[in-house]
Amino acid sequence: MSKHVFNKTNLFIALQYLSARKKQSFLATIGVLIGVTTFIVMINFMTGVNDFLDDAVFNGSPDIIVSAQAKENATKKSFSIAINTIENTGKIDSVLRKNQNVQSFAHQVISPAILISDTRQFPGSINGVFAAQESKMVDLERRLVQGEGFQSLSKENNILLGISLANRLQVSTGDHINMILPNGKNIQLKVSGIFSFGITTIDNVRTYVSANVLQNLLGENDIVTNVHIKLKNRDDVSLKTDVITVIDGVSTEDWKDSNKTIVIGNKVRDILTWSVSFALLLVAGFGIYNILNITVIHKRKDIAVLKTIGYSSNDIIFIFLIQSIIIGIIGAILGGVLGYAISYLISTTPLDTSDFIIVDTYPINFKFSYYILGFWFGVLTTIFSGYFPSKKASKVDPVTIIRGI
Amino acid sequence: MILEAKHINKFFQEPETHQVLKDVSISISEGELVSVYGESGSGKSTLLYVLSTLDTDFQGDLKIQNQEIKQLPSAGLTSFRNKHIGFVYQFHYLLPEFNVLQNVMLPAMKLAQKSKEEIKKDAISLLGEVGMGAYTKRPSYQLSGGQQQRVAIARALINNPSLIIADEPTGNLDQKNSDLIFDLLKEITASKNKSVVIATHNSKIYSNSHRAIEMIDGFIRL
Repeated sequence: MSKHVFNKTNLFIALQYLSARKKQSFLATIGVLIGVTTFIVMINFMTGVNDFLDDAVFNGSPDIIVSAQAKENATKKSFSIAINTIENTGKIDSVLRKNQNVQSFAHQVISPAILISDTRQFPGSINGVFAAQESKMVDLERRLVQGEGFQSLSKENNILLGISLANRLQVSTGDHINMILPNGKNIQLKVSGIFSFGITTIDNVRTYVSANVLQNLLGENDIVTNVHIKLKNRDDVSLKTDVITVIDGVSTEDWKDSNKTIVIGNKVRDILTWSVSFALLLVAGFGIYNILNITVIHKRKDIAVLKTIGYSSNDIIFIFLIQSIIIGIIGAILGGVLGYAISYLISTTPLDTSDFIIVDTYPINFKFSYYILGFWFGVLTTIFSGYFPSKKASKVDPVTIIRGI
Repeated sequence: MILEAKHINKFFQEPETHQVLKDVSISISEGELVSVYGESGSGKSTLLYVLSTLDTDFQGDLKIQNQEIKQLPSAGLTSFRNKHIGFVYQFHYLLPEFNVLQNVMLPAMKLAQKSKEEIKKDAISLLGEVGMGAYTKRPSYQLSGGQQQRVAIARALINNPSLIIADEPTGNLDQKNSDLIFDLLKEITASKNKSVVIATHNSKIYSNSHRAIEMIDGFIRL
């Protein structure tokens, strides 16, 4: 007796209605298309920027930095700028090895120094790293512009430079530069690699040498000034306080402390993306709601006739709802395609290097799940906005309509 | 007996409580053509809606094809109507988005007891019987009033119902077309042995029916 409402006949009637109002159906589809396109483009672009920054910043810097607290009595050092060293690295290591959330960690010797090339000189902060440890922390291979990565540090006296710093020093790989430490000692280093994180604040100052080089120059063989930690779950920074309570004389800093502006920027971009897309789809939804509502009012007689010739209330709901769903599906698919095209255009658009970011073109994230999300976003809007007019249509009473003439 | 109505009472609540049908009993047998006539407001249209199951808000018993109408749930009522009752209205009400053939096919496509090809064949043959065989592909809004009413009769017959309900089927037509439509309705229902109930003002129609029932102020005049 009562068959399922999703059948060819109801679909046929719905399609007939849609094609009888080509202009309105077209405009409604365009509405959904614009909403979905905007969502796709915005989310591709915004998350592209977010991911780019996350990648550059979080790959270039550790999640937690453990450093020595300034000692009150630093007189034992012979030079005026005291290097604060961590005394009990063994204890820190054992704490870190036991912690489940630690992905990797690395010791560093960090010292201020002046770098002198043939033509220029700049002060900098030199990271003395242990190549084997550091390569687990920073994926420098991916960032290399010239030369080699950390493995080149284990050989001679080599140095790796950020691209902006190398440009300012006017050096490239193979050139030699001099490094003078605060204690007056100096050494000639060969530039073995130049890297770019794409963030000016990093590329302007970051240098890597072998920790042994700095230890030799500072005259202390096993000193360590910092321990850098990479976490499995970056949001759980409880380790920060754990380390302080167990180890004396160290201070800790996490990624949120060091990158406040980026964290806030990401949040602002997320909010923008969702609110603008939502607003646009809301407008599209209202468009569909209006069109269907007016149709239902105009078609009351036809709906009454459909009811007298055997179409049930559920059939009527389906006939009207499927019209808006068809508009939604077509609009969402076309919106996805157009969104992809625009995102692709943006991704190939050259970007003037700003002070903050160094990239050739705009960063775009083409993640497929955003297209799925955009599709459902568009379709659900139309289902929602089509439901109420459809419900209204199903309530048309055939008697009052026919009597009303 | 195709239709049996006993002691039908019907009230309108608005604008004030008012009894439209007063203890109306009527029975219609197979192949019978019955007219209901009376002044405007006499209750003849209301009676027609009750008999056609469109209006179930009444007191009393109504049986069509031995089915107690009040016992059917709303969805069951719709499919019962689809199968057993054909409608013809004053304003024919073809759906303008569909062509003539599609309009006739729609009730049968809902019933879905035959394949689309069979339904199409039935519809074409019915359109031939009402003299509209040449217009199957026309959009329905391009037809004249008389032509639309012929298509509406074909639509009413497509599911081979036992009962045809016609509300002022000639009310909107000139005398010539009016005669044509009534003759057609009479002929085609007689040849198919259908029972027909017609509400009308037209004296030519009720004087040419098998039985004419006059409604006065909610009563059937005996």
